[in-house]
Amino acid sequence: MDLAVIPRNLHFLLGGLVLTLELAAISLLGGFLLGILMGLGRLSSRKWIYYPATLYINFFRSLPLILVIFWFYFMVPFIIGRPLGDFLSAIIAFIAFEAAYFAEIVRAGIQSIPQGQVMAGYSTGLGYYETMRNIVLPQALKNMVPPIVTQCVIIFQDTSLAYVIGLKEFLRRIYLVDSRELRSVELYLFAGFVYLVFCSIGTITSRRLEKRQIGR
Amino acid sequence: MIQIKNVSKWYGDFQVLRDVNEEVKQGQTVVVCGPSGSGKSTLLRCINGLEPFQHGEIIVDGVSVSDPATNLYRLRTEIGMVFQRFELYPHMTALQNITLAPMKVRKKSRREAADHAMKLLERVGIPEKAHEHPANLSGGQQQRVAIARSLAMEPKIMMFDEPTSALDPEMIKEVLDVMVDLSTGGMTMIVVTHEMGFAREVAEEIIFMDEGSIIERGTDISFFQNPKSPRTKDFLDKILM
Repeated sequence: MDLAVIPRNLHFLLGGLVLTLELAAISLLGGFLLGILMGLGRLSSRKWIYYPATLYINFFRSLPLILVIFWFYFMVPFIIGRPLGDFLSAIIAFIAFEAAYFAEIVRAGIQSIPQGQVMAGYSTGLGYYETMRNIVLPQALKNMVPPIVTQCVIIFQDTSLAYVIGLKEFLRRIYLVDSRELRSVELYLFAGFVYLVFCSIGTITSRRLEKRQIGR
Repeated sequence: MIQIKNVSKWYGDFQVLRDVNEEVKQGQTVVVCGPSGSGKSTLLRCINGLEPFQHGEIIVDGVSVSDPATNLYRLRTEIGMVFQRFELYPHMTALQNITLAPMKVRKKSRREAADHAMKLLERVGIPEKAHEHPANLSGGQQQRVAIARSLAMEPKIMMFDEPTSALDPEMIKEVLDVMVDLSTGGMTMIVVTHEMGFAREVAEEIIFMDEGSIIERGTDISFFQNPKSPRTKDFLDKILM
């Protein structure tokens, strides 16, 4: 064991961790916003909204993430005529992919609110948007918090797959350091430790929130 | 005020409303009773356009509900609705429940909406509960807040869908008192209920529905004393014991 390899390369590795966190945060935000739209679409009574949303969700949920990452990396330049760069293409792939999962979380959250709440809103003259924004979503979001936190943890882990297109995120940098220093055991143990710490924070938060919900 | 003409409605193959005809004049209170599944609640939801119907016509205050050109959101502001399970918004206080629609739909200021809401809470007898969440209120108090919430839009018509069915017996009276007060104050009301005491006291007309049709109608006394159909008699025997 030569743990000195870690402090020696800490700066480089932390840079990768920052990139990983950025990737996770942007994917989370973008995926969630797109997911709300898709989730609402999946509940729409209008067929021209319902079918595209359902198709989108089922499509991305039946593909492995690594394939989606490859697709956006290789096919988007083919369509728009110039390369997007690894970071941007990874972001787009993650948002598109995670949105499908968030959409299902949003759908389940909204369906957990009794239909009578919607009727009460409508019966006072509120429209669809006002009813959603003021009555349904505030209640549904509370129910969605635990699965959303779980999804955040998953996204954080998923970002490591961006290594396949050469993005120098955390795990990719561990690999690069290893190929130079040949300290696989130390480096991969360290990587595991870092993922464990971050994901545990997420899991503990999720538990806390769930407990608070039950206590409510 | 409300004209229901030959209305029929199906859920798939199942017919929930069969050729329903009814007229409610301004200031009248009409009580609708009948066994569960007879289409009473569905009829109410058709009147304010919460559910579509396939045949016939409903005209509310001169406006056809099923006309595609009708602005249903606007129409619903004229028709208050009170539900069996209250349906208060659990994440808001009583006051916020009442002020939401006036602020969003009528574009009233928070101040103006809150002043009006406090007056309504006084009218239903619980001004001191303005800042409580529904979870901290009894069933009777929740239903009174729900009535105040509907009244906040200053509707011309109030519809009640079994407003006391989910209440403990000792709370039924406090809700009925508010409703009697509304009825005698001249509000046009359609009330689905089995509270025959209430019906006797304020209803101008009582209709009995079974399997989607109105099979009996009468002005108070005649309805109870000599029901024409055996089905009505049977039902009245059960609920009046």
